[in-house]
Amino acid sequence: MSLFSRFMDGWRKYRKPGYYDEFDYHWTMTIDLDKCTGCEACVTACQAENNIPIVGEEEIAKGREMQWIRVERYWEGEYPNAKLSFIPMMCQHCDAAPCETVCPVGATYHNQDGLNTQIYNRCIGTRACAVYCPYEVRYFNYYDHEWDSPLEQQLNPEVTVRGKGVMEKCTFCIQRIREAKDVAKDDDRRRVQDGDVQPACVQSCPSKALVFGDRKDTESQVYQSMNDPRNYRVLDELNTDSSVFYLKKVDA
Amino acid sequence: MTSNVVGLFHDPESALTAAGQLKGAGFESLEIMSPVPIHGVEEVLGKKKSVIKNFTFMGALIGGISGFALAAGTAIAWPHPVGGRPIITMPPFLIITYELTILFGILATVLGFFISSRLPAFRNRVYVPESAVDKFVVTAPCDDAEHFKRAEAILNDAGAEQVREIGGSDL
Amino acid sequence: MHRPMTTETFKLGYNDIHDDVIRSIVKTGPKYYIALATAGGTTLLCFFFPWFYQLYYGIGAAGMNHPGVWGTYLASFIFWIGLSHSGTLLSCVLHLTNSSWRKAMYRSAEAMTLFSLVVAATYVMVHVGRPWFIHWAVPYPNQMELWPNFRSPLMFDVMAIATYITGSTIFIYMGSIPDFAAVRDRTSGWRNTMYTLLSLGWRGTDKEWHRLHWAYTFLAVLIIPLAVSVHSIVSWDFAMSIVPSLHQTIFAPYFVVGAIYSGTAGIVTVMFVLRKSMGFEQYITKLHFDNLGKLLLVLSLIWTYINGVELFTAWYSGTSEEYEALNYKLFGYYSWLYWEMIIFCAVLPMLMFSTRFRTSFVPMLILSIAINIGMYTERFLIIATSLSRQYLPDAWGTYVPSPVEISIMLGSFALFTTLFLVFVKIFPSVSMYEVKETMATPKMEPAAPAAGSPA
Repeated sequence: MSLFSRFMDGWRKYRKPGYYDEFDYHWTMTIDLDKCTGCEACVTACQAENNIPIVGEEEIAKGREMQWIRVERYWEGEYPNAKLSFIPMMCQHCDAAPCETVCPVGATYHNQDGLNTQIYNRCIGTRACAVYCPYEVRYFNYYDHEWDSPLEQQLNPEVTVRGKGVMEKCTFCIQRIREAKDVAKDDDRRRVQDGDVQPACVQSCPSKALVFGDRKDTESQVYQSMNDPRNYRVLDELNTDSSVFYLKKVDA
Repeated sequence: MTSNVVGLFHDPESALTAAGQLKGAGFESLEIMSPVPIHGVEEVLGKKKSVIKNFTFMGALIGGISGFALAAGTAIAWPHPVGGRPIITMPPFLIITYELTILFGILATVLGFFISSRLPAFRNRVYVPESAVDKFVVTAPCDDAEHFKRAEAILNDAGAEQVREIGGSDL
Repeated sequence: MHRPMTTETFKLGYNDIHDDVIRSIVKTGPKYYIALATAGGTTLLCFFFPWFYQLYYGIGAAGMNHPGVWGTYLASFIFWIGLSHSGTLLSCVLHLTNSSWRKAMYRSAEAMTLFSLVVAATYVMVHVGRPWFIHWAVPYPNQMELWPNFRSPLMFDVMAIATYITGSTIFIYMGSIPDFAAVRDRTSGWRNTMYTLLSLGWRGTDKEWHRLHWAYTFLAVLIIPLAVSVHSIVSWDFAMSIVPSLHQTIFAPYFVVGAIYSGTAGIVTVMFVLRKSMGFEQYITKLHFDNLGKLLLVLSLIWTYINGVELFTAWYSGTSEEYEALNYKLFGYYSWLYWEMIIFCAVLPMLMFSTRFRTSFVPMLILSIAINIGMYTERFLIIATSLSRQYLPDAWGTYVPSPVEISIMLGSFALFTTLFLVFVKIFPSVSMYEVKETMATPKMEPAAPAAGSPA
């Protein structure tokens, strides 16, 4: 009886999509491409914060670079009249993420904060998520990485060091979000306020091109900037419903 | 004393004729052993109905239900938001249902085959090894020696190459 | 479709088949042991040794890189699954349509299915990054209270392939029970014990034949939709992604046709080898090669058509991603492989329009091998070209297989051969009772003497 009624309750509750409207937070980032200088400070900050392995020259030559955020460079025109544009590209935390559905073991899923999370110790390394991701922002640990001494001394204790055969990607610095939520909980159970938490890339951006915050909070800075008329989402036509908005003035 | 009369035939037609005559003479539980399936057994020994189709159908039905219950039940037991899809996602769950329908259908068919043909059976039964090569064999249990004589005569008349007695103690 | 086999088969008696097949099991010459040792040694050296190296070092031992995260391991997986498609599937279809010409060859075709599936399942473990956790993809109650994600096309694969392996094993076994019984009566020692157990006490009574016929028919009916679903599901691993040139509705029929195509070519190869090495010249005849050739020709034409559809859809889509992917496929880094595939799988099979070609053994063997090389290339290209040209040009790249991958690929053929060599010594590799069925049943001839009663 109880099992069957549980099944029927679940049946009524879970037949409809769109449960992400009920998330506690909806973390969002905007990237102002008109402000981005392509300095790659975000890449370095991310590398340091998230214990991203240094794969070395040989592996880079094989095309196995590891950078959760990368700055894509696109050239237009020939040398004298060349025009260079940048797009910092990291996991877009899509609400309709193609990578999540394909994982056979559920190692990647959507959590209550609207984040696309990767569970390293559940991953079996099918790499299907990396194929399904249209943004190509999932990176695979092809072997066990080592940090040359004394670099292992600067590993971030808040973040796991991933072993071989595991997929990894940008987490929006989930360890910082967790900490902010803990602090908020200790402090009279208030919600995390705008500005309480910043991922490493946002923190390190010298031109303040990156803005991070909770989309549910209509007062937040990110809510203002994601409604900027210049906003667009990369590959929006694929209906991935991503959480990273880019701002760019279109050249006439 | 119970023994079994066994007649070896060169061809299926005479074996079937012999079987028909034995049946007409009042012998029961006749068996025809052959190296290949032969046609026309049902006309002589009566229609056969196999229960295998019921097994297959029930297996497939149970498989379908349990397949869907597995996919939907585990999804409800551990709601796991994925890709903005509903927790109970019909199209993929129907594929799981389809596969398990076939799997259980296959397993139930095998079970039905074993049960209805009384296999596996490792005890000794009436058997003539030649029947696996090129002989068509008719066998029937006989109650006593007189009974056996009668059966032997019928088999010989029908053109048996050889008639043997496989007794209770030989089994 | 009822056609007599060939005139020479008619001259054979039931006894000759028996002797020939049992001889193939019991009498083992030094050639067999040399072949087994070579195949086993190659498997160990080229398959397991590089795999263990890869397990120790990490999947980096293979050539996969950032856009090309899937490589030859997955291509080989599809190839082997595809090769498995002609055995049991073809055997079921021919059983239901009552085609007598299948009967001499279907046992080894089904064995091919089974062993291809075993090799394919092994490839899954070679492919994933952490094969020691592969059991997490199987639904079983566990103390973590975690279940697999049934929405994933990879999970469909797990279910479909598990069902397919179970189904094919049962199908080949059920069809062999009468033959195991026949072999049981003619062997002694450990073989006798083994065949006694395998034959389950089969006696060949009218009732048993009747039940076997129905069980076999129901299995055939169940396995045909299963086999079609298996390769459709494998195609959805790709088609359900949104990668340009993979996200196509034609993929399921494309893969199923490609699978049957390469599987049928594989059967031609195996038939040729069996015919020569086991002395089955009288059972595997020109008729079989002729019929298989016709089947191959039809499949080749369908395959060519679907390839055309694929190109047309990409061109007609009018999107820049699809254009780029199409252009890269036809004229990019891997284009020479593409044209090789077209020649091997679409142009050369046109030779089979000629009856003389279809009934010559060696040319058919060469063609069947060429087709399978082409089909392997097809699977490799589906992965390599599509992943190399995805949406963001910054993440474009090329993927080249490493020596470890190539060695494992070659080793998998040795693994398949090893399994097959073990099979021919355990299973009667030609179905005795079904070949007997195709022959004329003995007619009433009163004075016929008993032809040497076997022990």
